Amino acid sequence: MRPAEAVSQLRPRLSLRGRLYLFSGAILILFAINVGTSLWGSFARNESSLAYQEAVTTAQLTAELEQNLQKQRQQILVLATLRGTTEEPLDATALDQARTDIEIIAERLRQLGGFGGEELEPYYRRLHDSTTALLGEWQQFYDNYNDQATAQDVESALSYNNTQQHLQELDQRQSFIAVQRANAIDRTITLTDQITVVGFISSIAITLALVFAMIRSTNASLTRMKQGVERFGSGDLTYRIDEQRDAGEIGDLARTFNDMSSKLQVAIEEMNTARADADSANAAKSMFLANVSHELRTPLNAIIGYSEMLQDELGDGIEIDREQFHHDLATIIFSGKQLLTLINDILDLSKIETGKMQVTREVFNPAALLVQICDALSPLLSQNNNRLVLDIDKNSMRDMNSDRGKLQQIVTNLFSNACKFTKEGDITVSASMTANTLIVAVADTGIGMTQAQQARVFEAFMQAESNTGLKYGGTGLGLAIVREFCTMLGGDITLESEPNQGSVFRVTLPAAPASAPVAA
Amino acid sequence: MADHLVLLVEDNEVNRNMLVRRLQRAGHRVVTAGDGEAALLAMRTERPGVVLMDMNLPVKDGWTACLEAKQDAAICDIPVIALTAHAMEEDRNRALEAGCCDYATKPVDFPDLLKKLSAQLDATR
Repeated sequence: MRPAEAVSQLRPRLSLRGRLYLFSGAILILFAINVGTSLWGSFARNESSLAYQEAVTTAQLTAELEQNLQKQRQQILVLATLRGTTEEPLDATALDQARTDIEIIAERLRQLGGFGGEELEPYYRRLHDSTTALLGEWQQFYDNYNDQATAQDVESALSYNNTQQHLQELDQRQSFIAVQRANAIDRTITLTDQITVVGFISSIAITLALVFAMIRSTNASLTRMKQGVERFGSGDLTYRIDEQRDAGEIGDLARTFNDMSSKLQVAIEEMNTARADADSANAAKSMFLANVSHELRTPLNAIIGYSEMLQDELGDGIEIDREQFHHDLATIIFSGKQLLTLINDILDLSKIETGKMQVTREVFNPAALLVQICDALSPLLSQNNNRLVLDIDKNSMRDMNSDRGKLQQIVTNLFSNACKFTKEGDITVSASMTANTLIVAVADTGIGMTQAQQARVFEAFMQAESNTGLKYGGTGLGLAIVREFCTMLGGDITLESEPNQGSVFRVTLPAAPASAPVAA
Repeated sequence: MADHLVLLVEDNEVNRNMLVRRLQRAGHRVVTAGDGEAALLAMRTERPGVVLMDMNLPVKDGWTACLEAKQDAAICDIPVIALTAHAMEEDRNRALEAGCCDYATKPVDFPDLLKKLSAQLDATR
């Protein structure tokens, strides 16, 4: 594997939709992180402001409590001094006022108890205990103030100092905790600020990177598509877009383009083949016409030439050589008949090629037909002093259902060919039947054919050599027609031959059409 | 009898006999050859004034014989008239390209053939 391939193997292959989802997801996550840190920051700020408010309130309450305690103590100390000197009782209003003041102090103490958590609990409890005790003593002081009999202690010696001390301790503790909390909140705020800034900057960076990567990868994919389509457009249909490089829609698109290219390629190949076929059919038709023209002219040359010559000789007034005259007329007649055969053969071949040649089936005895044909053609044997050997396997021969006329034409053509190309030899017509096939062979001991000649002998207008027709007569169409007839009847024709050793044409025909049983 | 000789190259016996008789009746001296090879030999030995050559010949066809005659300094001046049953325009061109100086199609228009013969004989005289 080459390095570039290895890299492309490692690269995650995501569809366009996948990329968009990933991209949107990443942006959303970044957005959520930013929102989260921002919320965290503002929550911390909020908490800080609450803590500040709380600290201020507790400080106020503490200060107020302390102030109230001092004020009340001074008042009590003053009253205690006055009581010792004047013995003037307090009126109800002053007493009520004093009780209210004490109530206020208790209220403030309760309010103070509402602040602070578990940490302050022991401090507050000590303060509460000592303050409650102190306030109890003060309450008693006022209750007993007007009662002259009772000796008046302002307070127990420790109560106030204890309270004072506990208050200070609580205050200190509160301050300490407030400072601690403020520090912690500050750190949080700094941290969230940093996170927000870093998150924001990295969001921008990551978003830009994602956008860039997205554009690049999509662009690269689309560029590959574009290049591929351009190659296809310029006619290079063997080119294939690398469909492994992209997953999803773009990969599908690449595959679709490749499929399209393949189909176009096939279509163009088919079209080219069809055109080539049409061209060769056209060429074959032109060749056919040229051949027909050539073949018609050869016997016509003799007919016209001899006729004109005889006319000229008659016009000379010189005495006619009757024997020569008879021979010349025979030549004209022979050429005329050859011309007729040629025209009939051409019509047959044309009918075959246009599919208008009909097969007319009937039930007949092939053995009788073969004997009849050989009888009718026996004059041909004498032309070249040939001998007929008729070898019909009478035991195997039965009636068959086929085209009698075509079988007759097949055997006639083969027979006259054999007579034409054999001199002073044997023409053997043999026939036999298997369960459902008729086999007719026409063998001669004539000039035979080379392998190359055998290969072309069934083609129209092909005799073994181009001049054979002139030497031996014939049109070069007979064997082409024979082969077509054999095919039409569902059979076949084979040829065995060697130069100067003769030829054997063997025809096999089904005794009945494939769809029908053999008629009895 | 005329002083010139016509060489008729034709492998079909029927047509050859017919043309020989007609040419002789028209006052020509005629020799014949049955194939391209024999035609070249006859051209060298008989020095005919003109050759009437069929193109579809055994052994060596008319086009080849014609081309070879044009390569042979001894006989390249002898005019050859192509005589063929191939009647298409390209057959005519093919014969002329092979070096034939005229062209006649079968069936033969005999008076026309005589005119063409005379024209070639006059041209070389």
